[in-house]
Amino acid sequence: MAVLVALWFLLTTLTGTIGGGRFPSPGEFWASLLQISGKGYAGATLLSHAWHSTTLVVMGFLVAIGTGVPLGLWMGWSRRAEALMNPIFLFIRPIPPLAWIPLAILWLGLGDAAKIMVIWFAAFVPSVINAFTGVRTIDRPVLEAAAMLGTPRWRLVQEVILPAALPMIFTGLRLSLQAAWTTLVAAELVGALVGVGFVLNVAQQDIYPGMILVGMVTVGVLGWATTWLLGHAERRALAWNVAAGA
Amino acid sequence: MGSIRFDKVDKVFGPKTGGMKVLEGIDLVIGEKEFVAIVGPSGCGKTTCLRMVAGFEAPSAGSVSVNGREITSPGPDRAVVFQQFALFPWKTVRENIDLGLRNKRLPRSERSDRIAGALKLMNLESHAEAFPHQLSGGMQQRVAIARAYVLDPEVLLMDEPFGALDAQTRVVMQEELVRLARRNPRTVLFITHAVEEAVYLADRVAIMTRRPGRIKEVLDVKPVRLAENWDRLARIEDVMDLESFVHLRTQIWRSLREEKGPHGV
Amino acid sequence: MNGARLTIGQGVAWSFLGIALFLGLWTSLSVSGLVPRQFLPTPMETAARFLSLFTSPFAGATLPVHLASSFRRYAYGVLLAAAIGVPLGLLMGWFRLLDDIVSPIFDGLRFIAPIAWVPFAALWFGTGIGGPVMIIFAGAFPPCLINAYRGARFVEPRFIEAARMLGTSDLRMIREILLPSAVPSIIAGLRVAAGLGWQSLVGAELIVAAAGVGFMMVQAQASVQTTTVMSGMIAIGLVGMLIDVLLRQGEAWLRRRRGLEA
Repeated sequence: MAVLVALWFLLTTLTGTIGGGRFPSPGEFWASLLQISGKGYAGATLLSHAWHSTTLVVMGFLVAIGTGVPLGLWMGWSRRAEALMNPIFLFIRPIPPLAWIPLAILWLGLGDAAKIMVIWFAAFVPSVINAFTGVRTIDRPVLEAAAMLGTPRWRLVQEVILPAALPMIFTGLRLSLQAAWTTLVAAELVGALVGVGFVLNVAQQDIYPGMILVGMVTVGVLGWATTWLLGHAERRALAWNVAAGA
Repeated sequence: MGSIRFDKVDKVFGPKTGGMKVLEGIDLVIGEKEFVAIVGPSGCGKTTCLRMVAGFEAPSAGSVSVNGREITSPGPDRAVVFQQFALFPWKTVRENIDLGLRNKRLPRSERSDRIAGALKLMNLESHAEAFPHQLSGGMQQRVAIARAYVLDPEVLLMDEPFGALDAQTRVVMQEELVRLARRNPRTVLFITHAVEEAVYLADRVAIMTRRPGRIKEVLDVKPVRLAENWDRLARIEDVMDLESFVHLRTQIWRSLREEKGPHGV
Repeated sequence: MNGARLTIGQGVAWSFLGIALFLGLWTSLSVSGLVPRQFLPTPMETAARFLSLFTSPFAGATLPVHLASSFRRYAYGVLLAAAIGVPLGLLMGWFRLLDDIVSPIFDGLRFIAPIAWVPFAALWFGTGIGGPVMIIFAGAFPPCLINAYRGARFVEPRFIEAARMLGTSDLRMIREILLPSAVPSIIAGLRVAAGLGWQSLVGAELIVAAAGVGFMMVQAQASVQTTTVMSGMIAIGLVGMLIDVLLRQGEAWLRRRRGLEA
């Protein structure tokens, strides 16, 4: 990391190999960071931009897993549900989440609702697929053992199917979270009034490399932090698992 | 307590797509508190027999019943011990044993008493709060046996329960199961392909033919065991040295060998 | 027990029911006026618009022309990502020093969504072909690199030991041991890269482009032509699906060939 910063300093400030106006020097980056943290940029301080984006991601993500995971579990459990939902799913799935952005803006405008909608669509698909696969790959003897013990239906879902599918579900959640961030940044770049993507958008129009880099670093840090939190939740939830517990 | 009855049972897999007959005319009665082992070449359908009693499969013809009731679905009156243990990895040993009791809606105090008894019976007391992956294969199978025993089922179904264990562990488990079965007799259907295991554990041994599986003969082990008083010996290898044991084992081997194909598979 | 299996007839029946419900709900929502028709046209209207876009141009070109220009950028971006990512990954898998240098940089960049490169891409390469290609590259590069790296790094040690014993040079080791045994992993990575590249393309064209399907959709959104937006989505979905199917076929073909050779 230190080497990287030194190299950055060397290329931009000392030798000028990378010309100004193309990539910021550490000094410019720092100045931009101070500017947006203090008096703000693109209408708000960095903290409120970041907070706004994170809230949207978390909300869209929660809506997506709240709908996607149960649907995936249901499709995994019932062949009928699978046959019913699969064609619709096959139809929707190849459409990249970002392609929903124009439609979302058309329907819901530039505000938060449109963002939540596209995040929902983006994070929904991995949730469904992984919950579905999680159920389908449960070892048959485990299900037979539950049946042999006379486990009633609701308890079966709660105590056998859900925990058995949980490792796969978490794999899906990680993909969902990643998709949520990508989509949000794209949606904010296309049209927004506040948020990290909006900062990037304004900085691009102002041709302000220092601020562009601040925006990118913020996206990276936020993505990293939310992924870390999810990983933490996963380790706690899967303490029984050999792979995760080790 | 319970008895198991197979009445002219046939089983065909995939009847709509041509079909493969795996069992033909199975007639077998397992009496109350009797320990019956089924041995046979692999693929002869012996596991299918057990799965029909458990309620995982239905016979294509004939009927399977426990205590005169025809079997329609799985249930805790017929506890199964699986070859691959089939413990719930996200539940501790205690929770694994508890699930069946909770499903029976037993009061908390009775459940904890019965769990304590089962843990003691299988020497698991110090592992009650462990997760399955923290235990060795032998210990995991003890948990599975405890989970089945604690239900006090009418019949106990064991599907090659020691097949996935290493040789030393298997011997220990076999000796322990014998002690358990003699002290605490249950109606047991035990599936295995190991002849020694069958002779050592069972009251009667049923020998099956190659596919389609039929019951070729049923050997009475119990009278020999009682006459020769095998149970005075604690170790399996001492029992296996007895002439009466060797004689029975050889008899079964001969019978099975006739069932092997021309290439001796 | 696990949901009863269905016969083929039942499966088809349920699937048709599912499609019928979906299209029925969609149609009734738009016909009933619950959602303004302008914002949710019926499936028929959308299909008609999709077909008409093949002949009548929108935003400067017909749909096939837009698709062709999108696909050209896409192909450049993905091929560039593969051409740089795969060799670099293999080299990192073999030379520890390179691994130690590149991995931290890569890990740092990994959390930045490819789409966040848009401003720099526009600044450096413009909005013609260079900018979008860079964003596609940003999306497709990581799986190429990671999978080649993993494939080379986790190659069976006994192959390496055997090759060492035979006195194999570094370069030959990479070409004749690492590369072949990493092929399945690399192919899987390329498939992921192709998918992510296609996604990034859509994002890039929504933001920085003057042609392509994404550009067409943004223009349609601005002039509230919902049918055209939806047609763009359908086109993108179909092409994405086609790419995936072709790559799966290629992967299966390669596996079969290797299976026969082995």
